[in-house]
Amino acid sequence: MSSIIKVTGLDKYFGRLHVLKKIDLEVKPMEVVCIIGRSGSGKSTLLRCINFLEEPSAGTIEVDKLVVKAGGRGKEHRQLVHEVRLKTGMVFQEFNLFPHMSVLDNVTEGPVIVKGMDRAKAVQIAEMNLDRVGLLFKKDEFPNRLSGGQKQRVAIARALAMEPKVMLFDEPTSALDPELIGEVLNVMKKVAQEGMTMLVVTHEMGFAREVADRVVVMADGEIIEENTPEVIFKSPKDPRTKALIDRYRSGGHE
Amino acid sequence: MNLFQREPAEPKSQAELLYQAQQRKERQFRTNVGLSWGILLLFLIFLFSGNDIAIGSFSIKTINLDQNFIKENMGFIAGGLWETIKISFLSIAFATVLALLAALGRLSTNPPIYALSTFYVSLIRGTPLYLQIFFFFLALPQLGIVLSGTLAGVVALGLNYGAYMSEIFRAGLSSVGKGQREAAMALGMTPRQTMQRIVLPQALRFAIPPTGNEFIAMTKDSALVAATGFVHELMWRATKVGRAQFHNLEALIMAAIFYWVMTLILTALQSRLEATLSKGDR
Ligand SMILES: Nc1ncnc2c1ncn2[C@@H]1O[C@H](COP(=O)(O)OP(=O)(O)O)[C@@H](O)[C@H]1O
Ligand SMILES: [Mg+2]
Repeated sequence: MSSIIKVTGLDKYFGRLHVLKKIDLEVKPMEVVCIIGRSGSGKSTLLRCINFLEEPSAGTIEVDKLVVKAGGRGKEHRQLVHEVRLKTGMVFQEFNLFPHMSVLDNVTEGPVIVKGMDRAKAVQIAEMNLDRVGLLFKKDEFPNRLSGGQKQRVAIARALAMEPKVMLFDEPTSALDPELIGEVLNVMKKVAQEGMTMLVVTHEMGFAREVADRVVVMADGEIIEENTPEVIFKSPKDPRTKALIDRYRSGGHE
Repeated sequence: MNLFQREPAEPKSQAELLYQAQQRKERQFRTNVGLSWGILLLFLIFLFSGNDIAIGSFSIKTINLDQNFIKENMGFIAGGLWETIKISFLSIAFATVLALLAALGRLSTNPPIYALSTFYVSLIRGTPLYLQIFFFFLALPQLGIVLSGTLAGVVALGLNYGAYMSEIFRAGLSSVGKGQREAAMALGMTPRQTMQRIVLPQALRFAIPPTGNEFIAMTKDSALVAATGFVHELMWRATKVGRAQFHNLEALIMAAIFYWVMTLILTALQSRLEATLSKGDR
């Protein structure tokens, strides 16, 4: 099966800082890939380069047959980036719900404004997705009235309502109190089981072990190892992977 | 099961008692401040009451205002209220637009636009408001541009306040976190949609209370346009009749009361607006 995401030779510099070094990564349709690694290893930057929230310095990003080269300029490039963003949904660590809109409006905003969908249809899709994350009953609330876990579930519904091909999650549970992590992971697991392709940066090793098809380990801007969760967790090859997993075992969250 | 069962009344906790004591103290403070205000006000009224009071050999003469002058000119001076409010309102509207544009320019990465914005703010802030007002009334006609009194006043006040208020809108725009823009972009919004749908509504909401404060300040700075002699607002009317009949004391006191009461009312409205906004859906 051909890949739905294909990152080739991706380099990213912030000024003189070389943050991603010749990254190659492929994700197959319906695959769930978890990215783990120490803080500062470049996980977020990799994710953000895929939907061009960060401009890659070199390399190629391919999402569902759209090929975008780094360093592009002009209208054509912007149009490609736009289409890539339509194919990718993103969930942020800090939720980033729109505080001036109700839960329902947060979820209809993308379809109505970006896709030009009529409101009735958008409401229908929004309600379906809010139901999917178990928060339809909160549709008229404003975000400040939700718990962190509920906010993140709305953020997931907002991304899903755009009907993306791939979902990108950047540490979706890292800003949550421990007792709220479970509800978000459960929603993510459900979305994965429904067949969504997912690329998830996470420190939740239980989730990676249980839900991921593949685990990618990053260190210092490079992918040092990738394999099935069993192999990564039971017999990692790279000593840095072993050190990372040992730290999680002992409960250290960096 | 007894449906009407009540929870037993709990004894008040230490924290509750402390809280109540605190509340009592604050109430008492507010009452005392209110009373003192009343006394100061009474004293001021007494000072201008025109009474002569003799206590033994000690006599107090208070200031005597000409009641006839006050009665005769009340209507004329009060007529300036509307003009004052009108010019303030038009000026603040113009200033708001300019301030928003200047703030957007200030955040722009386009050099000419950034320069235009900073140039405007620097020029206005670097010269006196009084001079700017005269410029539009007196200097422009020399170039053959004659603006009506009200228009010149609105342009001068608007340009001036716009420069100062650009800071409010800049703060408003930067109060909207980077995450908001990123979430909008990740959904596929264009920069324009992101600005219109996500950033501006939040920034404007942030800017409403300080803009209200600027409006209140404007009602008083608008008195400066009286100096040009073309706008018949409160100050102009007060000085006109005051000078003509040599009753500047009465005329200025009347104008001062109008300004003060107007400010009190606007400030009350402003705090109500602020309270509504802050308990809203943020
Ligand atoms: N906008 C930025 N400007 C400069 N440096 C950045 C920026 N974003 C990230 N970095 C740097 O890039 C490196 C990788 O960051 P990041 O991708 O956020 O790592 P991770 O998500 O794995 O913690 C870090 O050294 C970080 O300080
Ligand atoms: Mg990160």
